[in-house]
Amino acid sequence: MIRHQIRLAAAAAACLVLAACSGPTSMEPPSVDVPTPLPSGIDFDPDVETAAPEECNALASYAPGAVTAEQARAQLDDDGRISIGISQSTNLMGYRDPETNALAGFDIDIATAIAEKLLGEGADIRWVPMTSSERVPSLDEDRVDMIVRTMTMTCDRWTEVEFSAEYYHAGQRLLVPKASGITGLADLTAEDLVCTGHGSTSVRTIAEQAESEMVTVPDYNDCLVLLQQGTVDAIAIDDTILAGMAVQDPTLHVVGEAFSDEPYGIAMQLGNTDLARFVNGALEDVIAEGTWQQAYDEWLEGPLAVEAAPPSPQYRD
Amino acid sequence: MSVQSPPAQAQAPAPAAGAAPGRFDRALAALRYTPGQLRGVLAVLAALILGAGVTGMTAIIAKSAVIEETTGQSGRLSVAALQLYQALSQADAAATSSYLTAGTPSDEMNETYREALRDATVALATAAGEVKTADDAQLVAELNARLPVYTGLVESARTFNRLGEPVGATYQEQASTLMREEMLPSAHDLQDNALGQLNESRSDAQAFPWAAAVLAVAALGTLVWAQLWLSRKTNRVFNLGLVGATGLLVLFAGWLAFASLASAGHTDRSHEEGAGPLELLAQAEITAQQARAEESLMLIARGEDADALARYEAHFTELTEDGGLLDRLDEAFAGDAGMSAKVDTAREAADTWRAGHDDVIKLAQEGQYTDAVAMAVGEDDTSLWASFRTLNTALTEATDVSADRFVEATSDAQRSLSGAAAGLAALSLAALIGAAVGIQMRVAEYYA
Repeated sequence: MIRHQIRLAAAAAACLVLAACSGPTSMEPPSVDVPTPLPSGIDFDPDVETAAPEECNALASYAPGAVTAEQARAQLDDDGRISIGISQSTNLMGYRDPETNALAGFDIDIATAIAEKLLGEGADIRWVPMTSSERVPSLDEDRVDMIVRTMTMTCDRWTEVEFSAEYYHAGQRLLVPKASGITGLADLTAEDLVCTGHGSTSVRTIAEQAESEMVTVPDYNDCLVLLQQGTVDAIAIDDTILAGMAVQDPTLHVVGEAFSDEPYGIAMQLGNTDLARFVNGALEDVIAEGTWQQAYDEWLEGPLAVEAAPPSPQYRD
Repeated sequence: MSVQSPPAQAQAPAPAAGAAPGRFDRALAALRYTPGQLRGVLAVLAALILGAGVTGMTAIIAKSAVIEETTGQSGRLSVAALQLYQALSQADAAATSSYLTAGTPSDEMNETYREALRDATVALATAAGEVKTADDAQLVAELNARLPVYTGLVESARTFNRLGEPVGATYQEQASTLMREEMLPSAHDLQDNALGQLNESRSDAQAFPWAAAVLAVAALGTLVWAQLWLSRKTNRVFNLGLVGATGLLVLFAGWLAFASLASAGHTDRSHEEGAGPLELLAQAEITAQQARAEESLMLIARGEDADALARYEAHFTELTEDGGLLDRLDEAFAGDAGMSAKVDTAREAADTWRAGHDDVIKLAQEGQYTDAVAMAVGEDDTSLWASFRTLNTALTEATDVSADRFVEATSDAQRSLSGAAAGLAALSLAALIGAAVGIQMRVAEYYA
């Protein structure tokens, strides 16, 4: 009887011990999706906004008239110092040279030339970097005196800021790999994915004029990485910005006719027409002195492969 | 106490043996006479002593196996998951900082990044060998698939940066996005799972072996009763065998209680002084590293990533707010001067960092980008990099101490159990023999 119990107990003990240290059960190998790095906030199904009809002449600014530099200086937030809103992430227009961390680009050259007309040689300029969505609020909040940041003049924006006369005429085009054979909007197929920035008007243009799908990202610089990684097939955005991308990658080029008009203006606080008039006068001088052409030739002529002349100003009075 | 043995107790072993009705009747009949009653008492004693011995031994063996597991499988998985999480966030903090140095990061930054990557890959390999659930295997596989993509993006960023192409910044942002949105959450889940398994093991290891204790007490009670009964029946005060068995059983019960309570105490200490603070410290370190990465990203994005600043704020608040991670660490190390000093150092560094951070943001927003970057990643003692490094080092030192304490406490818990299983088995066996000999001697007297 006792022996029987011992055997039973031993068996029970053995079971317990075995259960305590049983090995891992065989598992199916895990299945993992191919990792595709994507920027945060990417939108694969952007809304297509309907076009708002332009009810004004967005190009018409205020005639220079007789505003003196002194009168214009009185409009600045700080005496003797001008704060200019710029981009420091738009290659060739306004960017930080990765090696020197210095600001450079077409917008920077134009802004510097205007500031020197206002404050003289070696003007004290405070550069304020900002995103495109910060442009209007920063003027309202007196954080900057003017903005030179690839800003398109539209009737909507005329209700929020004062613009100078047009200082550069840009247009949306396509950036594609040279090997793709795409030469314009007409070559885009339903298989192609086209990248642009959130809220860009090119979403609508592409939807109307081409068959391809659109994807938008918060910062259009992400488009270049996505194009290099093969996630998207083309980038549709202002040619000035595309030029800045094309120079960073010899396998890409800007193609096609411009499919939109993007007149760039210098923005100032709403109601500050004195400063706008002075800036327009200064802009005429900058163009007449050849500074404009020099800046264009230095930054944009090569990558865009077109010669360009400065836009002629239009005034409303 | 009745002279007759209680029939209910004496009968118990008979059906347990599964006897045939004939044998059962005969056993029942035998119980009317003293020798039969003696054998019945012996059977009950044998069952109780054996039961206590076997359950005590298995409980100790199971406890030991569970403690073995805390230092072994689930312990190793927790440590690996913690190290992985830490190493990944460290790698991202180092990669983003070194990107800002315009293609010429210091040897120290390079070294930090490479060490972090080595730690991450080693931890990943360790974790892969220790996972036991399909969920954990999935997390490890996902992390494993993403790590080379991450490093690829970082290297592209560095190359473009060296070539002077601004697109490098976007590559670095994409790498950090991958880290922040996919890899760190996976590493966090893995750590949660591993710590959950560890806590489960811990409560198993702390459980008192009630079954064995109850059986031992019952056996002791029966032994005492049997001796009283025998002394009345035979007019002899002591039965050496039964007295010996009683002594052995008392020893058995004492050892069982002592070993269980001591190991539970040590296991508790391993949590209080080891695993608990370890988890908090790791969390604090990771939070600081993520704040550092976001701060650098804000500068890398050159104003294009307003969210980075908000994310920095969130991490920093988690670290320093009232009741935040540093406060909880203070609480955990209250009364421990050495560790409290380390937390104080970390807090001071965090304050310096915070003040410097606000200056850097101001510089960056006013367009003095070069100065902002110099202050963020510079080599001198006032740079944010220096403050972050002081904070990180203080926390790492505290982590090392806590890890040692954890290992020490678990090995104490293990040691307090050493020999207990074999000892308890030997004691119960000896008690059984004592009882059998003692009772058999009386039975033999009836047939002499």
